[in-house]
Amino acid sequence: MSWLPHSHFTHSDSIVHRMRPDVKLACAFALILATALAPGHWTAWYAAVFALLTGATLVSRVPLKFVIQRLLLLSPFILAIAAVNAFHPDVRTPWQVVAAKSLLSLLAVLLVTLTTPFGKILQVLRRAKVPALLITTMALMHRYLFVLADESERMQRARLSRTFRKRKGIWWRLSASVVSQLFVRASQRAERIYDAMCARGWK
Amino acid sequence: MSPAIEVTDLRYRYHDGTEALRGITFSIERGDCVGLLGPNGSGKSTLLLHLNGILPEKARNTGHVRIMGEAVTAESLERVRRRVGLLFQDPDDQLFCATVEEDVAFGPRQLGLPEEEVQQRARDALARVGLRDYGHRATHHLSQGEKRRACLAGVLTCKPDILVLDEPTSGLDPRGRREFKTLLREIHATRLIATHDLELVVELCPRSIILDQGQIIADGPTRELLNDEELMLAHGLERPHILRHIHPH
Repeated sequence: MSWLPHSHFTHSDSIVHRMRPDVKLACAFALILATALAPGHWTAWYAAVFALLTGATLVSRVPLKFVIQRLLLLSPFILAIAAVNAFHPDVRTPWQVVAAKSLLSLLAVLLVTLTTPFGKILQVLRRAKVPALLITTMALMHRYLFVLADESERMQRARLSRTFRKRKGIWWRLSASVVSQLFVRASQRAERIYDAMCARGWK
Repeated sequence: MSPAIEVTDLRYRYHDGTEALRGITFSIERGDCVGLLGPNGSGKSTLLLHLNGILPEKARNTGHVRIMGEAVTAESLERVRRRVGLLFQDPDDQLFCATVEEDVAFGPRQLGLPEEEVQQRARDALARVGLRDYGHRATHHLSQGEKRRACLAGVLTCKPDILVLDEPTSGLDPRGRREFKTLLREIHATRLIATHDLELVVELCPRSIILDQGQIIADGPTRELLNDEELMLAHGLERPHILRHIHPH
């Protein structure tokens, strides 16, 4: 699987990319809300939303393969939600409907985030009066994802350079230790970033 | 006139009980450029964090820090941070915004300046460090040298009276080091530079302070201290080559 960054496609050019970010976000929000509230037997509605989103994805020229990869990556969440619903004692909605609703919502979110630079999304949210603290948290998360990804890659490489034989289960053990190390480093870095913010007058 | 930085019998203990600073006393006059030398773990960074009021967060220290005559307390913190610009060791810690422009404008925005002045200051600072057209670049795509200069611009936009730098030339290639050195020379604020780059200290700082195990070991003219081979070796340092080629007479 290729791990292209999410931002790889946000600066391309298409009708979807050129749409105003606030309009795009509002449309996606409305679509998700309507889909979430739609009754289970509205099959035509789900099909229409699916067709619309797939059409928009094709027009945006984001490779379908990439979108499907991302959906697969997120599919455990969809499946978990569906599973909870399937085994819930007092079921009102069949799990297939829940899965369809989550899938469509995810697709809408993916499409917006793949065709809009993250900074623009934050600007819209800021104008929509989303709490400043939440926006700052999201901005910081986006900024340090790259640093964290680089760091994990370097660590993974350093480990591999001293892994001489392929043994069963070694990948899992390596990954587990890399993840725990990353967690420690991330929290240390968070402290240093907070210091740096304070030094320049953060209140 | 009160000195720019005045530290009196400063002691600090970390959470785990390690004594990081053990009775530090020194002062730096306004406009001076002073080098802070010492081996890894000698307490240099901890000392620098005190000058900006980042440490202590709790009452685990004793002693006083005065900036331009004003004691660092919870009440004076905002004024102190406005006066002291701190350049951190890892540029990735300091560049926390998505674009260079946003990051450089962070300080002035926190000060609540009008947007026009914020923009003007950001432009000036970027031009000063040679990153005139870098405003819209993503911070994570910059080279190490560019990151370092963007950090400096972010500090300069707050127009500090005192500049405190933690290993400003580490991780830079020779050209990056040379350029950064030139930048530092052109800044006329009071400067305290913690570094292992002994050539930088010889060239920029007439005075140096040597720190080891949380204590000041020596404080005096840079060339005199750095020429003392015995002293240098005893504290994880060495006599820099640049001094071997300069004859005192």
